[in-house]
Amino acid sequence: MALPLRYHWLSLFARKTTTLLTILVIAAVVGVFGWMMGFHAALRDSLSVAGDSRKLIVIKRGSTAESNSAVSPEEFNRLHQLSDVQVDPETGERLISPEMLVQVSLPRLRDGGATFANVAVRGVTKSAFKVHQNVSFAGNRTLGSREVIVGRAAAEQFGGLEIGETINLGHGGIRPYEITGYFSADGGPMESEIWGDLHSLMNSYNRSRYSSASLRLGDGADAKSVLERIEGPAIQLTGATETDYWDGQAKWIRIYIGIAGGLVAVMSLAAVFSIANTMYSMVAGRTREVAMLRTIGYSGGQVLWGFVIESVLLSLIGGVLGCLACGAWLSLVGNTKDMFGATTFTTLAFKISMNWRIVLASLILVSVVGVCGALLPAVRAARLEIVAALREP
Amino acid sequence: MSAADIELREVRKSYYKDRLEIPVLQGLDLEIEAGEYVALMGPSGSGKSTLLHLLAGLDRPDGGSVRVGEAHLESMSERERTRWRSRHIGFVFQMYYLVPVLTAQQNVELPLLLFRMSSAERRERVGTALDVVGLTDRADHRPNQLSGGEEQRVAIARAIVTDPDVILADEPTGDLDAKTSSEILDLLQLLNSEFGKTIVIVTHDQRAADRARRLLHLDKGVFERDEARQASSAS
Repeated sequence: MALPLRYHWLSLFARKTTTLLTILVIAAVVGVFGWMMGFHAALRDSLSVAGDSRKLIVIKRGSTAESNSAVSPEEFNRLHQLSDVQVDPETGERLISPEMLVQVSLPRLRDGGATFANVAVRGVTKSAFKVHQNVSFAGNRTLGSREVIVGRAAAEQFGGLEIGETINLGHGGIRPYEITGYFSADGGPMESEIWGDLHSLMNSYNRSRYSSASLRLGDGADAKSVLERIEGPAIQLTGATETDYWDGQAKWIRIYIGIAGGLVAVMSLAAVFSIANTMYSMVAGRTREVAMLRTIGYSGGQVLWGFVIESVLLSLIGGVLGCLACGAWLSLVGNTKDMFGATTFTTLAFKISMNWRIVLASLILVSVVGVCGALLPAVRAARLEIVAALREP
Repeated sequence: MSAADIELREVRKSYYKDRLEIPVLQGLDLEIEAGEYVALMGPSGSGKSTLLHLLAGLDRPDGGSVRVGEAHLESMSERERTRWRSRHIGFVFQMYYLVPVLTAQQNVELPLLLFRMSSAERRERVGTALDVVGLTDRADHRPNQLSGGEEQRVAIARAIVTDPDVILADEPTGDLDAKTSSEILDLLQLLNSEFGKTIVIVTHDQRAADRARRLLHLDKGVFERDEARQASSAS
């Protein structure tokens, strides 16, 4: 590089309209890309928090998720045959948590309650707090019969979940439950749930079966062999480590992200064409300037890099604007988001945020877009016939 | 202060249009001594600019040899000629070709950016070049804030800032009025007489040609006349 950056910088703005339009296209691409990356990161973080490989989720054979599973108390009791389950040192009981999962429809706060989301209501016993070790709740872990506690992510995104308020659960929504506290789960999927006493909720929903059981493996226990026993003739259920369970549930999220990624790829291609168009017009408008530079001793390579640098500068301006726009959008319009699980039939709530990794990834993306867009016009400039260009009228 | 002699032997150059060969230079021989001031005249299409481009190493002859100083341009690669040009040739264009977004000072600095040189040394050289062309007070002006004559003077400062051996000028007064042309020609004459630069100027303007100490008439790719003359003094 021999030409100073100020030359490239100032040259960019010699054609204001074209430059600004290109910057806007790039900013739009980066805005969407940044939002998608933030969305992906928030989902990934939420699901990775749930990835406890020492915890097994057990459901009915043939079921795909807790929401369509029914485990009878007899089947549940057979799980106590498993010797590789961790024992609670306080009670001497095996750490197996029977759970029931239902949904309740609640208004979304982000649109002022105009739309509703299915929020998971989980019936638990106090053993759940020991099996699900990422769940943190400061209050009494023996939940009262008409009490529920609410995950922080759910409380932030859905209406009617303030402490002291009541929520109507049970068949026909006729059983009021008082909200007595909030719990956290390191931002994992359980933080989007409402927890209540298992037996009370089973009674309210006229259920005689659990949805699932969660158990914590003992030290040194091999998850694979425990799962083989769970699926064997003695127990006849099925299960997965929590990591695998949520990985399976996340398939639809991967499809969503794949579609969004495809959209970004198409937009990036459009940005490449937009930049290429701008750079072609810059090269065409500066033919004699390039010829002058070649005449006074600049090489074709230096000219080529000059246009690539201009293109990357252009892209980076768009990139920074896009990141700022995305950040502004998230803070002004809202960074809360929820997604409906097609297999769980419940909603996972999470927060999208821009972080330096996303900004860096966005800027790398636009730099690559800038280089791709500049390459052909820059090669044309570098291969310019100097003598012919000097003769141009 | 440096200058170079020039020697052309049997130089031929043709252009092709729709596969049709158009001979431009047809076996030219020429010797120009170091420090000479030569004007090239001739009708359009006679090969003046082509000759100038060959002397600058912007193009290569189809046959024959072009030597400028120690450089045998016909056998040098494009990369070598580009590098050589940056060190030995100052080129003045009819339309100045200043970069519109840069100031006069920044335009003059452009050739120096190809050299390993401190910014202080670059500043000093740019200052000297602008002083020679009398534009020190216009250093921070952009081309659109300068008159045509001033723009050409900036272009001349850009051509001399690297202290080249040879200055090649292609119709340097072609776009200027008579008074401004005279000022530019004074300047070129000064560069020749005071700084000893070898100057080759292509022109249609008789007044510009009259300033040279040698006048070459080119027609249909061959020299028609080669006149040694007493250069007219500055106006």
